[in-house]
Amino acid sequence: MSDPTTPTGGRASPATAQASAGTSDEFLLNVGPQHPATHGVLRVVVTMDGEVVKDLQPHLGYVHRGLEKLFENRTYEQIIPFTDRTDYLSAIANNWAYVMAVEKLLGMEVPKKVEYIRVLMAELNRINSHLLWLAAYGLDMGAFTPFLYAFRDREEINTMIEEASGGRLTTNYFRIGGFIHDLPPAFFPRLKKFLGRFGRAVDELDTLLVENAIFVARTRGVGIISRERAISYGMSGPCLRASDAPLDLRREAPYSIYGSLEFEIPAGRNGDTWDRSWVRIEEMRQSLRILRQAMDGFPEGEHRVRAPRNIEPPAGEVYSAVEGPRGEVGFYVVSDGTRKPYRVKMRKPSFSNFSALPEIMRGLKIADLVAVMGSLDLVVPEIDR
Amino acid sequence: MRDTADILAAIRSRFPRVENRPVDPAPSLVVEPEKLREHLLFLRDQLSFHHLVFLTALDRPAESELELVYRLFSYESRLSVMVRFRVPRDAGRVPTVSDLFRTAEWHERETAELFGLEFTGHPDPRRLLLPDDLEGYPLRKDFTHPNMPRLPEVTST
Repeated sequence: MSDPTTPTGGRASPATAQASAGTSDEFLLNVGPQHPATHGVLRVVVTMDGEVVKDLQPHLGYVHRGLEKLFENRTYEQIIPFTDRTDYLSAIANNWAYVMAVEKLLGMEVPKKVEYIRVLMAELNRINSHLLWLAAYGLDMGAFTPFLYAFRDREEINTMIEEASGGRLTTNYFRIGGFIHDLPPAFFPRLKKFLGRFGRAVDELDTLLVENAIFVARTRGVGIISRERAISYGMSGPCLRASDAPLDLRREAPYSIYGSLEFEIPAGRNGDTWDRSWVRIEEMRQSLRILRQAMDGFPEGEHRVRAPRNIEPPAGEVYSAVEGPRGEVGFYVVSDGTRKPYRVKMRKPSFSNFSALPEIMRGLKIADLVAVMGSLDLVVPEIDR
Repeated sequence: MRDTADILAAIRSRFPRVENRPVDPAPSLVVEPEKLREHLLFLRDQLSFHHLVFLTALDRPAESELELVYRLFSYESRLSVMVRFRVPRDAGRVPTVSDLFRTAEWHERETAELFGLEFTGHPDPRRLLLPDDLEGYPLRKDFTHPNMPRLPEVTST
């Protein structure tokens, strides 16, 4: 072990192991902020005894942009594109939670067709996000092939989303009261083709990665968190459902048309890393069911309500949340009756999911860190906001 | 627990004088800061509000106060409830609830640094998101920083 007091000497750069003063076998390992497995600018300092993780200290804030402060000086409409950029993999869910909050403040009802487009977009977005998780997680675990398969399928969804909204990741598609555009004519033929094919593709991805013997060996029984602890940490989404907790806002606090759709809430049994992976695969299958129903029941109508040009909601406050790909995406909006919100608080799933990492990791080996962190499906910009 | 009225009745039977200012359908209880832990413990253990959705603050410079807001959700009754109270803007002290809800630990660290509050009894009161050398509390209404450009005022057209 090199001397940590000489930062330029030997191997004691911040990215490598440093000997800590005190006990003999204990040392600190710094992971990040630039590390392939953190998928973003995230840093954890691991206290290790040999290769066993004794404690883990996350360091956040590298991409803190002060969005909540920015929102206080923007009009209600101007905030929508910022919500995309908190979580670039679920722009739709973030748009939705925010515009739903403002619509609630205004007491605005949106047409049936708007609700259907929102569900279609949200479920496509969910599959899209889970596919990217699968691709990146596969890479973390040393499996390159699933990445290529997942990106092939992602491309189809991105094309559909791009044709509708003009954007691929940061879509900025939602407006208060509906959408900027109606769905393009090519949307449903594309969706039909996708639905006809993607069911088999999920099975393929399932066998390629999640049922793969090496993958199972690395994830089964690793990184367990109980249902009670997961709820106490405020975890939500697939990370919570893996812990034998079939809790999903689409079922627990139904919004939009989810109350009238048929789908199951998959839940794992053990709350381990493998269960968190399996839940996401199963969710893609359920999203396909939802997409089919939304396509079949798609109504005629307007794609938006004519909202007033200047949106000035009455003074009041509201919280609205949707089930995003990573869990509960919530916006708490306080209005003082002007064109700009008094306060917007973003409740983000990755923030709470990540906070459980030290507890999950304690006692595991350092090699499990990548497996556990990947299974939490973190998106760093939404942790830091 | 069937609906919001039942929740309110249960709360009133334990805390008769609690004031309710409803937000959307959820009740919003105005409590005293010293009684915060008692209220949250009752909500968690007796009414099964196990999920602390978020906690945050609102700056009220006119009254020179900070308003604390907690939102809880129950997976059993599928209902929400909010708890709120005010503390002075200068040297505001709030009892920590990070031992009752683990998620509160990070939410409190974030709220403390952004609003300038102290959560008494917090196990790890370091900053969470902000750099160590930043002065001031960004989410207060009067916060300014040399690098913060003044945005053009929005005027009604």
